[in-house]
Amino acid sequence: MNRRELLKMVAAATGGVVIGGEFFLAGCKNPDAGVGESATFTESDIAFLDEVAETIFPKTATPGAKDAKVGQFMTVMVTDCYEEKDQKAFHEGMKKLNDACDKMHKHGFMKATPEQRKELLVAVDTERKDYQKNKTKEDPNHYFQAFKQLTILGYFTSEAGRKGATNYQPVPGKYQGDVPFRKGVDKVQTGLS
Amino acid sequence: MADNNTFDAIVVGSGISGGWAAKELTERGLRVIMLERGFNIEHGKDYEKSNRPVWEYPHRGGRTQQMVKDYPFLKRDYPLNERNLHYWANDKDCPYTETKRFDWFRGYHLGGRSLMWGRQSYRWSEIDFTANEKDGIAIPWPIGYKDLEPWYTHVEKFAGIQGSYENLPQLPDSHFLPAMELNVVEKDVAAKIKSHYNNKRTLIIGRTAHVTGPLGHSPQRTNCQYRDMCWNGCPFGAYFSTQSSTLPAAMATGKLTVGVNSIVKEIIYDKDTKTAKGVRVIDAETNQAKEYFADIVFLCASALNSTWILMNSATDIWPGGLGSSSGELGHNVMDHHFRCGASGEVEGYDDKYYFGHRPTGFYIPRFRNIGGEKRDYLRGFGYQGGASRNGWGREVAELSIGAELKDSLSEPGGWRIGATAFGETLPYHENKITLNKNVKDKWGLPVLDFDVEFKENEKKMRVDMKADMKEMLEIAGVKNVRDYDGDNAPGMGIHEMGTARMGRDPKTSVLNGNNQVWDCKNVFVTDGACMTSASCVNPSLTYMAMTARAAAFAVDELKKMNIKKSVVTN
Repeated sequence: MNRRELLKMVAAATGGVVIGGEFFLAGCKNPDAGVGESATFTESDIAFLDEVAETIFPKTATPGAKDAKVGQFMTVMVTDCYEEKDQKAFHEGMKKLNDACDKMHKHGFMKATPEQRKELLVAVDTERKDYQKNKTKEDPNHYFQAFKQLTILGYFTSEAGRKGATNYQPVPGKYQGDVPFRKGVDKVQTGLS
Repeated sequence: MADNNTFDAIVVGSGISGGWAAKELTERGLRVIMLERGFNIEHGKDYEKSNRPVWEYPHRGGRTQQMVKDYPFLKRDYPLNERNLHYWANDKDCPYTETKRFDWFRGYHLGGRSLMWGRQSYRWSEIDFTANEKDGIAIPWPIGYKDLEPWYTHVEKFAGIQGSYENLPQLPDSHFLPAMELNVVEKDVAAKIKSHYNNKRTLIIGRTAHVTGPLGHSPQRTNCQYRDMCWNGCPFGAYFSTQSSTLPAAMATGKLTVGVNSIVKEIIYDKDTKTAKGVRVIDAETNQAKEYFADIVFLCASALNSTWILMNSATDIWPGGLGSSSGELGHNVMDHHFRCGASGEVEGYDDKYYFGHRPTGFYIPRFRNIGGEKRDYLRGFGYQGGASRNGWGREVAELSIGAELKDSLSEPGGWRIGATAFGETLPYHENKITLNKNVKDKWGLPVLDFDVEFKENEKKMRVDMKADMKEMLEIAGVKNVRDYDGDNAPGMGIHEMGTARMGRDPKTSVLNGNNQVWDCKNVFVTDGACMTSASCVNPSLTYMAMTARAAAFAVDELKKMNIKKSVVTN
């Protein structure tokens, strides 16, 4: 069933690509941050995305999103794989996130402490969930959807994530259809593909 | 005296059928040239992505906007992906046109789609071979199960098919290597289905062309390593492909010449002897024309391309091309219809997991319209599916962000089980391909136009395809079962069949019971083009058996001087 599994993988991978979104020209209230201002990604954008991703997947006993270079990964995916309108929505989403931080903590995301960042993203994610639940099919996805999906995809398909947080088995050599699983001990099994 | 353009046999195409033709013809003593339109891929050496981990792909195996732009047909389904894009034909160089939508996913390189196939391998049964005649649909098959049975055994012993012995009349057992294992959930669901339906329905391991035990004749192939990397070409030779299996055997005879980048544009027909003299080729890289000559020609270029070659040949005698005298050449296009079934959640196995990445799932053989049952449609369907634990890509509704989410997704989620049916499609004369001379490919050759659709019988069958899976899962105790009938266009099954069907009568068929073109007996067509009906099982194993059978027949006829020197009569 390799073909179906590949299909699932591709669906998972393109889940992030399917985000819709109309470009919404917001007023520029936070010029010094410059977040999401550029049509392409800058080094500071990557740093910003790294911090967003690290807040979603922080380093613990297992690697964090920065170890997996998720910020860089997001920019590659958005630039190469997203349709133009979704690219715009993503850039705009960065700005929205920064503005939301400004509103909550009176300064931009990069200046926020890890605790402030987490507080913000928990709130934004709650907003995302409510929005996604009530939106029509035609409505664009909530802007945070792409950040979260790309973080999960980028992390678990990275070398750091696979080797550090999963049971990575590139050459299992056998198949066993019934092995014990210990919750809290055993990890999800992954491989090369 | 033979020159370097003259052989005993020409094999057009190097995929599953072409590889088998080359092996069987050379092993029976013929000097053969196998012509492949695409580039060379050397076993192992050229599988440069076969050990590449996902993180070395910039888009982690996904698709870019540029790829979507460059591949207007391939983008319609999973084949458009970063992992094995180089194994799929270039849509821009090789376009086609659509009176009705047809998804045509092609492999133009040595080995063809034997490198990317799904490897599911099933015998047809007598029920399949007699269906047309019993139902009064299209035309009867000229051969039956007993004609093909020894050839199934012949190819299975060489290709290596893993599976379990089940003794089912609708799905005859193959000569098997040790079966891969159903996992714990699949086993329990299988037991519940079996008992509820009184052995009338069975859930078995999906039979595939993977090595799971000794294959003494092919020491270059080793057992499956359960990496789930088949689609990049297997460096272990663990699944059957031309490169892993038939090509080394053919090369070992010292009688095979392989010509890559050789697009066969037509068969050279000699009206005086009423036989084919050879083929005309365009070099895909230099555009240079070339001719090869032989006593027999095996067309194994994939179903629709073999017919395309016939349509381009001998048009001065038959405007519709070689083999068109019956009016059936290009007609009766078939594929399997699928993407229809059900899936759900399985409770109670949270302390169970599996180890390894198994390259197959389960199979539920056909149970409709057999044993005296009569539904409101003809024929039937089988299911392919699997049970597994959800991976890191799942939704965890109760968790927001942070270490808890990361830790949670680092563990497998709950179990799911699901399957899609693969349904038989009837042969309809009006489902056809034709030459579109207004559109040319990169080499200035006319392209195919598609006019194919699924009809009422398929639509009615899909009602059962959806409902039966839902019912079986619910009976097995699966929770939150959801059925679906998804996006499905002809071609998407990548099981193209028909367009040069076999038959008993030259007035209604293109090929006879030995795969010979009625109008030109030294041309054999043994790929999907020859199929008179579609069954519901994956067709590749049948092409292997059909090709081996026709090759043995062709060599016998050559020895008896029945072909070429004096033309065979009907």
